[in-house]
Amino acid sequence: MKVFVDTGLLFKRKMLETLRNPVFIIVSMITPIVYLVLFAPLLNKLTGVPGFTAGHVLNTFIPGLLVIIAFLSGLFVGYNMIDEVKNGVLERMRVTPTSRFALLAGRVLRDLVNMTVVVVLFVLLAIPFGYNLNVLGFLVELVLLAMILITTSSFGNALGVILGDEDKLSPIIQGINLPIILLSGMLLPMELAPKWLQVVAHFNPAYYVVEAGRQLAAGHFLNAKVGYAFLFMVPFTVIVVVWATRTFQHSVS
Amino acid sequence: MAADPVVMTEDLKKYFPSKKGAVKAVDGVDLSVLPGEIFGFLGPNGAGKTTTLRMLTTLIPPDSGRALVAGFDVFTEPDKVRRNIGYVGQSGGSDLPATGRENLVLQGRLYSMTAAASKARAAELIDLLDLEEFADRIAYTYSGGQRRRLDVAVGLMNRPQILFLDEPTTGLDPQNRANLWAQINKLQTEGATIFITTHYLDEADVLCDRLAIMDGGKIVDEGTPQELKKEVAHDCITISVERHEQNAAALLDLLEHADFVLEAGAEDGHIRLCVSDLATGLPKLMRLLDGQGVSLETVRVVEATLDDVFLQKTGYSLRDLTPEG
Repeated sequence: MKVFVDTGLLFKRKMLETLRNPVFIIVSMITPIVYLVLFAPLLNKLTGVPGFTAGHVLNTFIPGLLVIIAFLSGLFVGYNMIDEVKNGVLERMRVTPTSRFALLAGRVLRDLVNMTVVVVLFVLLAIPFGYNLNVLGFLVELVLLAMILITTSSFGNALGVILGDEDKLSPIIQGINLPIILLSGMLLPMELAPKWLQVVAHFNPAYYVVEAGRQLAAGHFLNAKVGYAFLFMVPFTVIVVVWATRTFQHSVS
Repeated sequence: MAADPVVMTEDLKKYFPSKKGAVKAVDGVDLSVLPGEIFGFLGPNGAGKTTTLRMLTTLIPPDSGRALVAGFDVFTEPDKVRRNIGYVGQSGGSDLPATGRENLVLQGRLYSMTAAASKARAAELIDLLDLEEFADRIAYTYSGGQRRRLDVAVGLMNRPQILFLDEPTTGLDPQNRANLWAQINKLQTEGATIFITTHYLDEADVLCDRLAIMDGGKIVDEGTPQELKKEVAHDCITISVERHEQNAAALLDLLEHADFVLEAGAEDGHIRLCVSDLATGLPKLMRLLDGQGVSLETVRVVEATLDDVFLQKTGYSLRDLTPEG
């Protein structure tokens, strides 16, 4: 089917960009490494306080960092999209019979591969620091991270198409970036938060993934929090992808 | 007409909403483009040229009217239109982090060509548009002229029945413009049909077989460049008299009232006058000047330009709006 062929072609095309410039992978790892080295040690004395009950603090902290990696890997892709809008690349492809879904999916798939590479490398790096890797839990976690990435990358790409201008994109991206990170408990567990913050966090899909990630890291596959994460993320991802595809179909750029 | 037109529109309209009411970007355009011709849209920015082109290339739907491109309706059969056209937008379209050849091959693949066919076609176009030298370099490193040629090659990958070029030489230096004109002419000799928009008078004059002059969303005149210029009819003569002639103002006055002169005016040291017929007007002018004992320093005959046509049809000069750079 044309949609799969086109997705494959465009994925290959974008992947080539990553392979030609692999320094991107290193750049993506800087933020989580800085957190691991400069922030995680602050948590050592918190072992045992609410939210940090799973042995080494890294077992609580790393799952949150993985969500940050997935989240940031997708959120900023709009800038690359804007480049292509400005260079007329997207418009040129829209005048061909290329599948509109493929125009989005090829890019998102590339971002997914990049994120997976970064996440795997980072987890391996965290083991010597004391992180206790549960392989099966990590694999399930990867599915959740993939949904975070697909959501943010679709959103970022669609936003790039709609706005077509970095100066308009920046305030939106920066405006949602920090609140979503802080309200998900990625850095510090929401158990430490006052009641009202905990209530607000429940409206943040990323919160469920962070919570589920900590259960998965501890091997608690059947914990309700894991179920909630899938329950929220599956429909949320579908809604965002449908919206982004429609934007690509109707874009007036 | 022997051959069916490649583009045919009927009362094509596109209005854009704005705070002050609808902007009539394209307000009832009828046109047809025949196979093998270079058809030009000449007009200032905002005349509706690009909007018309975007409707013909399926990028935006028309509000009303009809447009057939390559025999298919742009509104109801956009996919078939897309398969049969090539399009080079104002901002180019080449993917800059990839090489020229990669751009071409991917474009072919997106048209469902096999990898082998796509590679062969890419090689053909690299040859046709003289891209060999840089085809395997990343497009970021290209000069403006090289990038434009790649853009055009990308637009030709699917052997389109018609190639749409939206202001293809804007931003190019004179040498690269001339080069691109030569490439476009070469494409025509290879049998291509080309639809071009431009706000450059010389480009429209040199390149196009047929022109539509567009202003305010409407076509105000249409024909070959020669036909259009003939419509305006009058040729002009520029003369300058010797320096010691003190009676320039009196001379101008005399010329303005001569029966063979349509209009006359002073223009930085020269007198410019338009006559209805050069063959009879020029001898009359000479006799008149001779009778006045005026000796001439220079005489120059200026034939009507497309700008004269534009001026007559729209009431303003295109040259004033878009100084040639």
